[in-house]
Amino acid sequence: MTIQTEPTAPAASDRLGGSRIIAVLRLNFVNRFAVLGLPWMILGFIFVVNLAIWWIIFSSVSDPADRADVSEGLQYSGASFYIFVYMAVVGVQAIAMTFPFALGYSVTRRDFWLGTALTFVVLSALYSAGMTLLAAIEVWTNGWGFGGRMFTALYFGGTEAPWFERFFLFFAAFLFFFFVGAAIAAIYQRWRVNGMVVFTAVLTLALVAVVGVITLSNSWPAVGEWFAVNGPAGVVAWSLLPTAVSALAGFLLLRRATPKT
Amino acid sequence: MSAVVEVSHLTKNFRSVTAVDDVSFTVEENMIYGLLGRNGAGKTTLMQLLTGQDFATRGDIRVFGENPVENAPVLQLVSFIKESQKYPDDFKPKHVLKSAPWFFPFWDADFAERLIDDFRLPLNRRIKKLSRGQLSSIGVIVGLASRAPLTFFDEPYLGLDAVARQIFYDRLLEDYGEHPRTVILSTHLIDEVSNLLEHVLVIDEGKIIVDQDADTLRGSATTVVGTRTAVDAFVADREVLHRDYVGGLASVTVGRLGQAERLEAADAGLELSPVSLQQLIVRKTNVSQKEFEQSA
Repeated sequence: MTIQTEPTAPAASDRLGGSRIIAVLRLNFVNRFAVLGLPWMILGFIFVVNLAIWWIIFSSVSDPADRADVSEGLQYSGASFYIFVYMAVVGVQAIAMTFPFALGYSVTRRDFWLGTALTFVVLSALYSAGMTLLAAIEVWTNGWGFGGRMFTALYFGGTEAPWFERFFLFFAAFLFFFFVGAAIAAIYQRWRVNGMVVFTAVLTLALVAVVGVITLSNSWPAVGEWFAVNGPAGVVAWSLLPTAVSALAGFLLLRRATPKT
Repeated sequence: MSAVVEVSHLTKNFRSVTAVDDVSFTVEENMIYGLLGRNGAGKTTLMQLLTGQDFATRGDIRVFGENPVENAPVLQLVSFIKESQKYPDDFKPKHVLKSAPWFFPFWDADFAERLIDDFRLPLNRRIKKLSRGQLSSIGVIVGLASRAPLTFFDEPYLGLDAVARQIFYDRLLEDYGEHPRTVILSTHLIDEVSNLLEHVLVIDEGKIIVDQDADTLRGSATTVVGTRTAVDAFVADREVLHRDYVGGLASVTVGRLGQAERLEAADAGLELSPVSLQQLIVRKTNVSQKEFEQSA
């Protein structure tokens, strides 16, 4: 691209170059506490509460068979779900607040989306690595000494999964929540309240239709079988499809969006 | 002289409202422009179009010779400070000032430091908890320190006190002297910025109704004061911008007066006084309002 009429332009156009995408990445991290500090602190709190409960149960049940039973039940623990919801909110806020702000810094929508997508990938990798490590400790300490399970719940591959499978499960799940959160926020940026109303209506109708088709064709056992056959890794692998669709949709929506004043 | 902004037949419709209506003008390099007009006249929309934040319905915009929409090489030369700028909820001013240099290639960190002192901006307080004036000062600091070749200020100092506004004008002029750039300043406080402006664009109902050199514009109207009969006789065949009658006295604003006409007025016992830029624009936008109502 050439700039013909402005003498100061050529000198400047080389100064930032492709680093604008990196600049958006850095912008998403500028308040480190919100993206890297607070989530771990809340997760730590949830862990401590769970630890206390495990300890209470462990102390009040002495029969080894009963203890094994408790540990068995804890494989359905949802204690770490919060962190995925938190990341969906981070995805929403990136679009709802950082996007209007970044446009004020004369960032293009394209560079914003690429830089933000990169942010999601980096954050997913960091949090997945941390959770994989915690899962390893959980296995190694036999449930933190009390048979507790938080990072090796069934949906995360159980206690038997190898570390790379766990990492992949966490990583894909984080990506899913980031990009779906961002895409929904992008609908709002593009069409405001009307967009949200239409989106909610369409989503509701689609879910009812899916339930209806499965029920009427007596396919629930087949659905259950699909989950069982695919296993956690397979199911999460399939989640990459809606994640990719959300990533693309988010970009297309933002490309025509104007932050409202 | 080269044109930094060239706009031709630009129109922006929002459903039934035409916010910008077939507008054409150019902005020359290294001058301070005033973009003036009433609330809802289309100032902000026009600036959003020029900075690629909104999309034109029709017409052509060239900024540094290119369409600004999604044009990163052009946009990084542009800084757009608006009164309504949103900041992420958990941000503090320090986050804004830390990240701004990543986006503006001409950022001057020392200048930013000095401005932070000048405006006494608390860096470590949540932006949500700042006063309206402190919030505005963040934008003003970013707008000045970014030293973008094309800088837009849209009502930059809502809530700033008179001292802070004067600091803004002083720093803007000083820095503009050392680092010439193109500044487009949109404001309601016309008289305050009157001496700053080199060129004036007045927008009303989405149309550019004045596109003139500020000095020419300032001399383009005169108020004639005297007895009612004498004033009426003097202005009989001139274009009248505004009339005020108090008892037997009249005060009438007319267009530019030549030397001969000034003598004639003096002979008739009339007093002549200059019209401030603000009064002039009030008159102009009122006239077009009436014309609009008549034609509707």
